[in-house]
Amino acid sequence: MSKGQEGVLPQGKEQENLLVMLERAQSEFGYVPEEFIVEAAHSLNVSISEVYGVATFYSFLSTKPLGKNVIRICKSLPCYLKNSQMIIKSVEDEIGIKPGETTPDGKFSFELTNCIGACDEAPAMLINNDVHVNLTPGKISQILKSYK
Amino acid sequence: MSEKRIVLKNCEVIDPRHITTYLTRDGFRALEKAQKEMTPEEIIEEVKASGLRGRGGAGFPCGLKWELARNAPGDEKYVICNADEGEVGTFKDRYILQNDPFTLIEGIAIAAHAIGAKQGYIYLRAEYHHLLDSLVNAIDQAKERGFLQHVDIDIREGAGAYVCGEESALMDSIEGKRGEVRYRPPFPPTKGLWGKPTIINNVETLMNIPQIILNGASWFNQIGTERSKGTKVFSVSGDVKRPGVYELVLGTRLKELVEELALAEKVKMVQVGGATGRLVPYDMIDTALSFETILGAGAITVFDQSRDVIDIVYRTMEFLAEESCGKCAPCREGTEAMVEILGRFFRSEGMEKDIRVLEELSSAMMLSSLCGLGQAAPIPVTDSLQYFRNDYENRIK
Amino acid sequence: MRKIEKITVTIDGSQVSGCEGMTILELAQQNGIDIPTLCHSPELTPIGACRICVVAVEGSRTLVGSCHTPITQGMVIYTHSPKVLETRKVIVELLLASHCGSCYMCEKANVCQLRKIAADLEVGLPRFQTRKRYYPIEDVSPYIQRDLSKCVLCWRCVRACNEIAKQNVFGIAYRGFNSKVVVDFDQPIDKEVCQDCNVCIDICPTGALSKPREVGEEKKGRPLVISS
Ligand SMILES: Cc1cc2nc3c(=O)[nH]c(=O)nc-3n(C[C@H](O)[C@H](O)[C@H](O)COP(=O)(O)O)c2cc1C
Ligand code: SF4
Ligand code: FES
Ligand code: FES
Repeated sequence: MSKGQEGVLPQGKEQENLLVMLERAQSEFGYVPEEFIVEAAHSLNVSISEVYGVATFYSFLSTKPLGKNVIRICKSLPCYLKNSQMIIKSVEDEIGIKPGETTPDGKFSFELTNCIGACDEAPAMLINNDVHVNLTPGKISQILKSYK
Repeated sequence: MSEKRIVLKNCEVIDPRHITTYLTRDGFRALEKAQKEMTPEEIIEEVKASGLRGRGGAGFPCGLKWELARNAPGDEKYVICNADEGEVGTFKDRYILQNDPFTLIEGIAIAAHAIGAKQGYIYLRAEYHHLLDSLVNAIDQAKERGFLQHVDIDIREGAGAYVCGEESALMDSIEGKRGEVRYRPPFPPTKGLWGKPTIINNVETLMNIPQIILNGASWFNQIGTERSKGTKVFSVSGDVKRPGVYELVLGTRLKELVEELALAEKVKMVQVGGATGRLVPYDMIDTALSFETILGAGAITVFDQSRDVIDIVYRTMEFLAEESCGKCAPCREGTEAMVEILGRFFRSEGMEKDIRVLEELSSAMMLSSLCGLGQAAPIPVTDSLQYFRNDYENRIK
Repeated sequence: MRKIEKITVTIDGSQVSGCEGMTILELAQQNGIDIPTLCHSPELTPIGACRICVVAVEGSRTLVGSCHTPITQGMVIYTHSPKVLETRKVIVELLLASHCGSCYMCEKANVCQLRKIAADLEVGLPRFQTRKRYYPIEDVSPYIQRDLSKCVLCWRCVRACNEIAKQNVFGIAYRGFNSKVVVDFDQPIDKEVCQDCNVCIDICPTGALSKPREVGEEKKGRPLVISS
């Protein structure tokens, strides 16, 4: 495995925690690479299928490479009542892909997600870890431009 | 008006980045009192006498839970603060974490002292990663001031799974596994995290603790109704003019919250408690909000007359099917079967027998599912069948 | 040593006693009462996943899983009340609704526990239609053939491989309806990972795991893939 990945293995009492390890990999590499899963299985002395099982349970972990920035638009009811459909549409128009896809230049992945706890300022979305609220179709282009 | 600030007392008053602003408002005095003037048993008695019940949805008596964990044999015990807040339409824990992390830390520290835990965890949902730094900062400041000598508080982040708010799945997730539900008994206070006695409390539950310790159970006890003491923080969203967080004395009428405070108009229905919550048609809007009636985790989603009930129930079920952990058959397969049937009603392709099938399926899921997700998943279906049956009947092909 | 407590309970109207730590299922079996089970196996740690074994216990809001719930003093249990039977029936129908295999074509039909339970409960055509779980048959291994379209997610193979064979070949991946028993990165099981011990094949309650018919002979042709 490349040198960079060693730093991702957590230290101390978190060293033994599989989910913490996978979360680190996700934030470091933008996904959980196969080699990382193999390495994690070895270091924790568990099977690859067990690690793969954890990695595929959580929706914020991905075993496939994602774009540099991940857009997650909330599709739950309170946002839906505030026209999240229109926001989804304008993101689609802006970057030319549908939910579940990644732009050819690898800049954005686009997903729909469940309630992100910002329903008082619906419709809302996450880009990476940033929350964007009170969205209108007009704001989308500006927001997306700020992600390089 | 029945607004009253106990839990949110410090929110938008203190500076969540600086512990000094908290200290000037009695901050950590309850912990000091608990450690110097009270035995753990006395603390637990006080919490029991206060009548405080869990704010995460199930309403279990808080003091009783603590007592079970305190009395469970073993030296290694854990306190977990449930900050997973995954219920659709809930954001009050986010508001609390953003505005007053210190009271929460004090609550956790008191809980740890009471049950004899040396390790506490805050399980923070992945969607709230933006709150992590401020929470870590607050813990560090409390530690620097010497308030956390008896307990380490670590934050564990979720990774996107609603079911991880369920206490047994949450513990598996902290252990680094798939967030799958465990059967009970044994319950967490006897056998929880890593098989050790553990208490799990919602953010808001723990926020009540410092003031119960400082002001006494009898003060807290006077607020609220017979079996619902204190206040509740509600998250109001949907078709209202003033969405947001409201703290009300328990027993306040839904109408007051929805129409007078949040300024909703032409209400058709309110969903109380999110995806697994109750549907309240407008003619029942006078219902009081309490554990005796309806409450859940306090998500209040308001729908006006332009909304389609079947659409709402269908979307709710899609959410639940997507978030089912998949371990138990009735929930894993049942939510899927419901999505199929509701989808047909949504497209006006219902069949005569579907209504009966929905009812039979609901009953089996409620009775046999392994956790609250599958047990409560049919509620929107049974409630809508009760109050809006016409909407179904009109969509039979 | 601590004295083992005798616990007296009422089960289907008659008073019987058992030892502390016993499950409702064990006590019922000891007294000749038959409760259907699917995910449970006496050789494995219980997981309480299938919920077929539910029974009614007085004072409990829901039914309880008998394979993992210990008996307690004074418990009043009904193993075959109408509510219990109806609930079991719905669960079996749900499992059949997403089950792809046709019993007519299945080699393990005669020993299939799902089929037996369905027959005992007089389950006819399922009331429900769900997505079918369709997976291509995995027949690359000379030791084991997996047809996961017939899997009911009882996890018996996962636990048996782990607890009895001590091999840990299987894991559960994905979530909810998409949950699946996987090998490595969800790859077809081959002879590299599997040691020909038969433990999982014998313990699988359905036709999902079986012995390849002609050991060692490679099957010809690609499996038919129907995308849903
Ligand atoms: C599917 C499901 C999701 C849940 N999500 C949460 C949650 O996000 N936050 C929470 O505090 N409790 C949640 N709960 C309730 C917890 O299981 C548990 O009862 C609660 O955290 C206990 O704390 P309390 O007694 O202080 O309320 C959930 C329960 C279920 C069944
Ligand atoms: S393959 Fe068989 S033993 Fe394994 S989970 Fe599926 S049905 Fe159970
Ligand atoms: S519904 Fe979108 S943030 Fe809650
Ligand atoms: S046999 Fe008890 S839950 Fe499956």
